[in-house]
Amino acid sequence: MKEYAAITVPSNPRYLSVIRTVTATMAEMYGMAGKDIEDVKLAVDEACSNVIKHAYEGDTGQRIVVKFVFRKGFEVVIEDSGIKARPEYIQGRSLEDVRPGGLGIHFIKRVFDVFAFDEKKKEGNRLRLIRYRRGDDEDRNSRQ
Amino acid sequence: MKIEIADNKGTKVIAVSGDIDMYTSPDLRKELMHLVQKKVSPLYVDFKGVSYIDSSGIATFVEGLKAMMTYGGRLKFIGIPAHIMEIFCFAKLDRVFEMYGSFSDACNS
Repeated sequence: MKEYAAITVPSNPRYLSVIRTVTATMAEMYGMAGKDIEDVKLAVDEACSNVIKHAYEGDTGQRIVVKFVFRKGFEVVIEDSGIKARPEYIQGRSLEDVRPGGLGIHFIKRVFDVFAFDEKKKEGNRLRLIRYRRGDDEDRNSRQ
Repeated sequence: MKIEIADNKGTKVIAVSGDIDMYTSPDLRKELMHLVQKKVSPLYVDFKGVSYIDSSGIATFVEGLKAMMTYGGRLKFIGIPAHIMEIFCFAKLDRVFEMYGSFSDACNS
């Protein structure tokens, strides 16, 4: 049986702290520690903030589903029922170009090896983030 | 997130604690831009109590700094925790913001 954990939260920024807490717990359970947990927490927060900003255009009455799967690596799947993302237009600003905004995508891509929208999803978005196992991840699953 | 603004003989220090994220950064922006509109300079931000910052929090400070630059103001950060500093460094903003270990270091610069 494929094991996973999932949470569903309103698309209200006040719930981002809940997403961060759960992400950190799942990352620790996966075997990450210290900075890796902080980095993953920030990346998932940024991805969910983007859902609120872009997919739901600030509508706080919608839902965001965040699913954590331990499979080929640490996998996070974020689902919404908002406006379809256009991956070809998703890019951060140059880090040399100092201005507000445009950093979130850098924070996501520096941590996750895979950043991919599921094209099969007809309505809304399903973003799949995968961080493959690193040498310093402790394999806690194999100990249990 | 908590924001406390101290006024010591005209020196303004914004002490921020807790998480700065998409939910809390609008409050921070309001306080910061209020002081920026008054052309306060230098303006100090005490980061010692900050546990987390995301891109919206960083954007708030970039916006504040850009506005301050129009009147030659200086925005000085104090006591940035290591894990927050790493984020500023990754974003190459350690070259943009003035960062100091302590309030006295910032005052003497």
